[in-house]
Amino acid sequence: MTESFRVAQKIGLLFRPEDDIPRDIKDWAMGQLSTESKSIGIKSISNSHQIEHWPEDYLPSLSERAEMLRQLRLYEDRIQKDKTLSKIEMDRLLWINEKKNNIRFLDELRFAHRNVYAEDQVKQRFSLFWSNHFTVGISGTTRGLIGHFMDAAILDNLNGSFSNMLYKVTTHPAMLTYLDNIYSVGENSERAIQCRKNNKCKVGLNDNLGRELLELHTVSPAANYTESDIRATAQVLAGWGTIVDKPQLEKFGLFNHWDAFVSNRAEPGTKLVLGKAIYAGKDGLHNLTEHLASHEHTQRHLARKLCQHFVSDDVQSVDIEYIMKIWQQSGGDLRKIHQAVIERAIASKAPKFQWPAIWLFQVLRISDSTYFLGWGDIHKDLNDRRMSAKKVFQELGQPFWAKRQPNGYSSSKSYWISGEFLERRLRFSEAIYNTAHPQFTPKEMMDRIGVNSATRNLVEGLSGRKRKFIALMCSPELMGVQGG
Amino acid sequence: MTRREFLKLTGASLFLSAAPVSGFTKDLPQGNISVILLQGGMDGLTAVPPIGDPALASLRQEIGLSNPIKVNPFFGLHPKLQHFSKLMARGEASIVHATSFPYTKRSHFEGQNYMQGGGSSPFSTTTGWLGRALDLALLPGRALSLELPLILRGSLNVDNFYPARVNGSSKPEKWLIEQITMAHQAEEAKAFQAVGDKVADQARSNIPRDPVSLAKYAGEQMSTKGGPVASVIRVNQFDTHALQGADEGSHGDRLELLDEVIKAYREGLGDAWDQSIILTLTEFGRTASVNGTGGTDHGYASVGLLAGGLIDNSRVISEWPGLADADLYEERDLYATIDYRSVCAACIERVLGLDHDLISQKVFLTSKLKRTYDYIFS
Repeated sequence: MTESFRVAQKIGLLFRPEDDIPRDIKDWAMGQLSTESKSIGIKSISNSHQIEHWPEDYLPSLSERAEMLRQLRLYEDRIQKDKTLSKIEMDRLLWINEKKNNIRFLDELRFAHRNVYAEDQVKQRFSLFWSNHFTVGISGTTRGLIGHFMDAAILDNLNGSFSNMLYKVTTHPAMLTYLDNIYSVGENSERAIQCRKNNKCKVGLNDNLGRELLELHTVSPAANYTESDIRATAQVLAGWGTIVDKPQLEKFGLFNHWDAFVSNRAEPGTKLVLGKAIYAGKDGLHNLTEHLASHEHTQRHLARKLCQHFVSDDVQSVDIEYIMKIWQQSGGDLRKIHQAVIERAIASKAPKFQWPAIWLFQVLRISDSTYFLGWGDIHKDLNDRRMSAKKVFQELGQPFWAKRQPNGYSSSKSYWISGEFLERRLRFSEAIYNTAHPQFTPKEMMDRIGVNSATRNLVEGLSGRKRKFIALMCSPELMGVQGG
Repeated sequence: MTRREFLKLTGASLFLSAAPVSGFTKDLPQGNISVILLQGGMDGLTAVPPIGDPALASLRQEIGLSNPIKVNPFFGLHPKLQHFSKLMARGEASIVHATSFPYTKRSHFEGQNYMQGGGSSPFSTTTGWLGRALDLALLPGRALSLELPLILRGSLNVDNFYPARVNGSSKPEKWLIEQITMAHQAEEAKAFQAVGDKVADQARSNIPRDPVSLAKYAGEQMSTKGGPVASVIRVNQFDTHALQGADEGSHGDRLELLDEVIKAYREGLGDAWDQSIILTLTEFGRTASVNGTGGTDHGYASVGLLAGGLIDNSRVISEWPGLADADLYEERDLYATIDYRSVCAACIERVLGLDHDLISQKVFLTSKLKRTYDYIFS
């Protein structure tokens, strides 16, 4: 691969036909971090070259989403309980309800479009890295919130401090719901005391988010925290969050969904987390996330993860140390940290294996294929062989909207190598060739990318354009397992 | 030499140099082994409640079972484990209680890695205990999942099966796969080659992908001559921090699914059931006490369920530590009194005919593993 493509493969999504290939790739990559991020895509596959903004209606705010979720559940319940409906009528009404109120399918498609059509490809890659680091899977109402979380908690905070992103992520209703914090009540809170007095309700602490905040999101087990640190973290978090599809705003009239701290559920008193005293009250969480964000174990843990995702499969300690140094010097400025990652990714000539989803985006971009439906298509019966975005990501083994574990997808290459995973690469290549009308021939792509002689020999040794297409996409070079 | 020839040769020479295996005992016929990975941490006190322990009821007020199936005066079974209870009645299933891998730090991800890796500590190995055992015995294994789980890694003779559903694609061409395989190196080449082998095998691709259907298929595969001797299936979502339910509810639903998976294995195995052992594996148990949100948090010991025709007498194998405050690990979790690695080792010994000391050293990478074989298989 030419140097531009090699770097864009590691830290970006490769170049679309309308992209100019940059002369100075480092300069381009750094500039990418400041590019404006827009939700763009296509309305219909029948007009696939019209790349435009997603309609405002499909970009609901958090409170609009809360209302949609409330309606979704309300009507679901009403339809299912209606004994007068036939099975067919019931299914039809449920489907209409889904179309109107379940934003999840549009969010998932918009995510795919953003990556396939993005002008801010490097930002999209970092955004996906952090969305995966701070995994939110489906649990209760999160299905309608994950799209908002990725945009507003991650992408919008990509150029601020890590500390700020950590706070925004931790307090986002998607995270507070996914890791059960909305149920957690301090054992000495007003609410708990009242419950005990009346003997009518049972409430208490839930340590799920507290544990993962330490283990996964920040310091990692390397920090040797204790069960008492976990418990204290859960106590700091108690009171944060609310069930979004209940009309809490009307009920309490006090807070919005992303700043939902219910003081009578909070644990009073000072807590001690990793040696730091955290005072009671709403500001306590801010103090805690700042402390965790600046902890050396957090820096090391995240520097390693960034290296493994962007720099090389065989992580080098010199790269980790470099990123840690920039982290410390900049006080955790994510823009500076991302710049450091880009520098190391360019400097390292080692190949970097790419996730199945990233690979798919890259294949679609370099071949100029129209694989994902348009936003106007997804509720139509197109009689088309195309799969929904949901099914595509499921089949690749990376359904971001799914019931999944909070540790996210591994960046370790060996996890992704199995017969079944590689059969998916062969099959998706074929499916793209058969259904997504790639505008470039394998030869045109090889010339543009500047593939190495091994890739060229593999492709040219085959007969038939389809075979050549499949072999090119499944070549070691395009999979990121051998140097360009 | 082409890469393909190279792969073939190394495969063959490995086979020759490694046979005969030291420690192989031939007095019992070879069996088959299936591991069900219960991800999230199964609550042993819900699956197999110690109904005779006086502390149980008060610890579990909201989530205690109203109607457990009675196994003996001290232990009950969750009512959703219907099929398992019938197997126990027939002498084809056993329970190991208050057991765990020796890991007490309550992290899912360390725990999951450790229960599959089986080395000295979490993240200390890149191969798994079942993979290492199969490598010693030169026998094949298969995972029913998109990825090859850590537990099976470490043998050249393992693969995975999870039928593809990619619209607009067909079964890949064997010749094309061969060309692509030759362009790749190392583990990628091996995995592409596995795709080629699968295509040549005419493997069925219309199997539904839920754990029950996959278990039935795995059973069928293991019952055919030359098929895998080991299989691995995963059942998710045991991590019930909130509202886990009791007789009904989310934890009970997972147990029901587990029960169906065991039943499906039995159906698929057919006559091979007589030579089978199925065992569950989970990263930790859950807190002895219900938490403030109707669920349980991460704990220490849990329960292991064993089923299969290789079991002759149903038992509850346990050195019960008790549930009184002072008996709990860090005053919150059921103590583990049996190292579950020993249970896994006994199953390997029975199925693959390897010697216990060899299993201890080469599979679990320790010289100190206790032998529990006679408790389970006599």
